[in-house]
Amino acid sequence: MIDFQQVSKIYPGGQMALEDVNFHLQQGEMAFLTGHSGAGKSTLLKLITVIERATTGRVAINGHDIAKVSPKHVPYLRRNIGMIFQNHHLLMDRSVFDNVALPLVIEGFSHGEIRKRVAGALDMVGLYGKERHNPIMLSGGEQQRVGIARAIVNKPPLLLADEPTGNLDPKLSMDILRLFETFNDAGTSVLIATHDLGLIARMKYRTFTLKQGRMLGAQELHPSVHTRAPTNRGEGQ
Amino acid sequence: MSDSAKLTRSKLPLSGRIVMFFIRHVQQAMASMGELWRNPVSSVMTMAVLGVSLSLPAALQVLVKNAETITSSWNSAAEISLFIEDNRSEQTIQSLLTRIRTYSEVDKVQYIDRNQALEEFQRLSGFGEALAYLDKNPLPAVITVTPTPRYSTPVGARELLTKLEREPEISFGRLDIEWLERLQAVVRLLERTVMAIAALLVLAVVLVIGNTIRLAIMNRRSEIEVMKLVGATEAFIQRPFLYTGIWYGVIGGILAWLIINLLVWYLDSALAELLGLYGSQLEMKSLTFIELLQLVGLASFLGWLGSYLSVRQHLRSIEPS
Repeated sequence: MIDFQQVSKIYPGGQMALEDVNFHLQQGEMAFLTGHSGAGKSTLLKLITVIERATTGRVAINGHDIAKVSPKHVPYLRRNIGMIFQNHHLLMDRSVFDNVALPLVIEGFSHGEIRKRVAGALDMVGLYGKERHNPIMLSGGEQQRVGIARAIVNKPPLLLADEPTGNLDPKLSMDILRLFETFNDAGTSVLIATHDLGLIARMKYRTFTLKQGRMLGAQELHPSVHTRAPTNRGEGQ
Repeated sequence: MSDSAKLTRSKLPLSGRIVMFFIRHVQQAMASMGELWRNPVSSVMTMAVLGVSLSLPAALQVLVKNAETITSSWNSAAEISLFIEDNRSEQTIQSLLTRIRTYSEVDKVQYIDRNQALEEFQRLSGFGEALAYLDKNPLPAVITVTPTPRYSTPVGARELLTKLEREPEISFGRLDIEWLERLQAVVRLLERTVMAIAALLVLAVVLVIGNTIRLAIMNRRSEIEVMKLVGATEAFIQRPFLYTGIWYGVIGGILAWLIINLLVWYLDSALAELLGLYGSQLEMKSLTFIELLQLVGLASFLGWLGSYLSVRQHLRSIEPS
């Protein structure tokens, strides 16, 4: 699903954010990306979502070399990636419904279809019936769920989460991770960037560790590689 | 929507996508209108600025239009006086008159013979007594020629005069249209001024809308970032701003039209009084319906242009980080 080959990223000004990174996330796999802040987790996610482009090396998503994607086609690539952010990136002056519906509106779905899918997505994250609420009226955990609902509403094959549990207590964090597991069970590839090592330790997924822009061997840290076979597909995938 | 469209993501059938394209355009146009409606204070201010800016060139247009009607009605005042050489027999003069009457450029011909001229001069000049001491009538016979409307313009009348002066019996002709030429020069200057001011104000409209849209873009920066993150194309993001610009133009144009009508209504009675003093029955004309459409059309184009320029410049610079 995600393939990095000898990827380096040097920001203007000479800061080396990633250095010779190789890693591969398989289709239907769920994995963690960890490391101290400043280790390059965010840069790695930005390379996947084409917010930044690699200085050298090859980044491929679903077999597509990102270097060959023109700026004009970046939006279409992003539609295949559900993104979840630590600070949610919600539109605070819009209702929960409008927030979750945004990717569908952008893709030009009909009104009835949008309503159905938004209701389904909100149901999945446990916010059914809160369509008319404003995100400001919701708790941090609920806001995060709105962000998750928005990320999955158009059923993308890949989910990226940047510190999705950053501001949540352990119980809520676990709930969120269980949610990601259900999406993964439905066949979605999931990559979660987090520095919450305690959380990772309790789960048996592959972990990629970044240290000062370099990727440490994943298998050494967690020998029990957990890869789900991509046979259990959800409807619409 | 068909079942297959429900199950496959973003792969609506072509006809469905075309329909959705138009539906989305209408939706976004309406949404932009709603957006303006929800921030009435700032949008009303902008629209008022646009209305005033557009009403000035439109008012000048009305002024020029009315000035043209007035001057064209004065054009017919152009009259050519032809002075006949001395010692021409009445018979040659009569044949000259017949010849001039056949000119296609000539509307009316009036002949004043030497005696009539003398009588008129005695009556009007106040030198009547003095003339009695002259042993011979010093005045020439005169033919006054009124050109057809087409030859009443300064250029046309002058052309006709040169042609008439080629007649051997005529010593010289006089065309009393210098004042008309001056008036037309003034009107031309006025027209130029109108064009220049209109161009400046049109530029102002584009800049005002551009700046308003720039502020709107800045206000919705985070929203634009989010939209870009979830895969919105530039075209999709810029569309509401373009519609906002068009709405500003449309409403500004309508406001300008209202202002013009108020102005005309306000000036009409004063102008009627002035024109009444000159014995003229002219009525001040406002903008016609076609001109209203042109005004609104131009205004909405300017609105689109202003927001397009702004969007081009500022939307690109907003990238998620």
